[in-house]
Amino acid sequence: MKRYFAVLLGILTAIGGFVDIGDLVTNAQVGARFGTSLVWVVLVGVVGICVFAEMSGRIAAVSHRATFDLVRERLGPRMGLLNLVGSMLVTLLTFIAEIGGVALALQLVGSVHHLLVVPFVAAAVWIVLWRAKFSAIENVLGLLGLALIAFAVALWQLGPDWGELAAGLSPAEKPAAEGWATYAFFAVALFGAAMTPYEVFFFSSGGVEERWTSKDIGVMRANVFIGFPLGGLLSVAIAACAATVFLPEGIAVETLGQVGLPVAVGLGKIGLAVVVLGFFAATFGAACETGLSTGYSLAQYFGFPWGKYVRPREAAGFHLILLIATVIAAGVLLTGVDPIMVTEVSVVFSAIALPLTYFPILVVANDPDYLGEHVNGPVANAIGVVYLVVITVAALAAIPLMVVTSMGQG
Amino acid sequence: MVSPADRNGYDVGLHLLDRQVIGADDRLVGKVDDVELVDQDGALVPTALLVGLPALLPRFGRRVGGGLARAHRLIREAAADQELPLVADFDLIESVGSDVRLSQPAPGLLHRMAHERAADPQRCRVGPLLGMPVRCAELPRRSKLLDLRMVGWPGGPGEHRVTALLVGPGRPGALFGYDRSSEPGPAVVAAVVAWLHRHARVVDLGPGVELDRDAGEVRIGPEASLAPLRG
Repeated sequence: MKRYFAVLLGILTAIGGFVDIGDLVTNAQVGARFGTSLVWVVLVGVVGICVFAEMSGRIAAVSHRATFDLVRERLGPRMGLLNLVGSMLVTLLTFIAEIGGVALALQLVGSVHHLLVVPFVAAAVWIVLWRAKFSAIENVLGLLGLALIAFAVALWQLGPDWGELAAGLSPAEKPAAEGWATYAFFAVALFGAAMTPYEVFFFSSGGVEERWTSKDIGVMRANVFIGFPLGGLLSVAIAACAATVFLPEGIAVETLGQVGLPVAVGLGKIGLAVVVLGFFAATFGAACETGLSTGYSLAQYFGFPWGKYVRPREAAGFHLILLIATVIAAGVLLTGVDPIMVTEVSVVFSAIALPLTYFPILVVANDPDYLGEHVNGPVANAIGVVYLVVITVAALAAIPLMVVTSMGQG
Repeated sequence: MVSPADRNGYDVGLHLLDRQVIGADDRLVGKVDDVELVDQDGALVPTALLVGLPALLPRFGRRVGGGLARAHRLIREAAADQELPLVADFDLIESVGSDVRLSQPAPGLLHRMAHERAADPQRCRVGPLLGMPVRCAELPRRSKLLDLRMVGWPGGPGEHRVTALLVGPGRPGALFGYDRSSEPGPAVVAAVVAWLHRHARVVDLGPGVELDRDAGEVRIGPEASLAPLRG
């Protein structure tokens, strides 16, 4: 019974933990501009994150090595450092966006400008990272994040023309006013939002921290293969809500308040309150995960003690990195930069940084020295190689598309 | 998992360098930032794991590594031992797998390398050897020393020394482990790596093979036999 409960809890937290500020903003923006014609990208991204997380989870369970251990072991210190710097910058950017997201969620509740809230949010995140238990962070915030199911309920209450929504799923149904370059840019952004690299750093490092063994592979797979796709469904619900409310009126989504507006239209004040709680939990949870990921990455590269299961005194370097990352994030936000803009940039750069960590994980997942009998089978390898190509194409296309479309402006 | 002990031999760059070092108390000690070798009557015998930035930074290459090492010296200017790495002798190694486990608890395990040991001409490190240019008529001109193949295993009984060199164009580590006799997947990636490294060869240490540390190059004469990486 306890085991089933653990599996259920893992799946529920994976659903709540899947959606972060990047998914919220990008899906709502895409829904408002392109309807459901980019939903296929969410599907591609969800399968991709499942493939990536399953491989790194399996490596963590069997060999007890997390992502940046493998990056350095397989690529060497030089390429490994370039990789570390690239991935750390993207994770830090995402961390800034998440803290900004928490502040924006609180602004929706208290009407206090988010800049005034940022220092308190940053302090709260740091205290949680320093003092709270790993399982408490994961479970409490993951479960609260389930409040975002309000988007699915709101969609049902909004009573859209389901046939029209389904017909809009084809890329051919792209609104005529939008160019194909803009369409491709948002496809890359949506892909980056679904496959944010920190999710895998956090997932594999968490597996090492929780001392997974090969016996835990089944539970890990249940979390990944059920939790992430259900989280992906939430993303689709966000896009569909925006498509129903904003697309016919030609309104663009530019604030977090607008992301939640369809829920207010569909479910009223209570719905809005629930969804704002969901915003808070999803962004706060993701802020903790990205913050921890910066510490995990550096500590794993250099080999010094890391993790929430080690006393802070013994992992002083790790906790110092968390503190510095939090101060940097708060400092950047206090310059007055728009957190939504940071989010837009972070999802695109996530797509650019993906191959850096995906490739070494794919290689090690085939190495019997690490995985023995648990190496990738032919199916995992076939999908793994297809995604290597997809991820590389998305990464190479991201910057040209960003320039050509002026960050999706037109 | 397969450990070097199971195959009675390993490639030092692939199987030992950059692995996590863990004490007997499960605490993380550091990474294998470099490995010390001693020249014993012409045979290169590994003697210690080197840990810390003074061991890691020189591995970033002459220009980048030199700059980083200078920066590190400036930061730690007051310390007399600023250029010396920490040492864990090989007899402390309990096992080598996806990590290197030592037989003693982490606190007090590592000791700073003595100045005399660092200056000993009989001793060298693996890091600076990897990437050395290779002069050989049968290999492309830009060939380098890619890895060192060992017999034996760390902490194990019997002979433990460098027996062969992996040489070829490219840079150390770029084989991603696709250089062993087993057939790791995915087949497409393995085929691409094999094609990129089609000129790479293994050469046994012996007549005709000279690893000249003073000149910073490996010379391979016509009497040495070059074998393909896998086969």
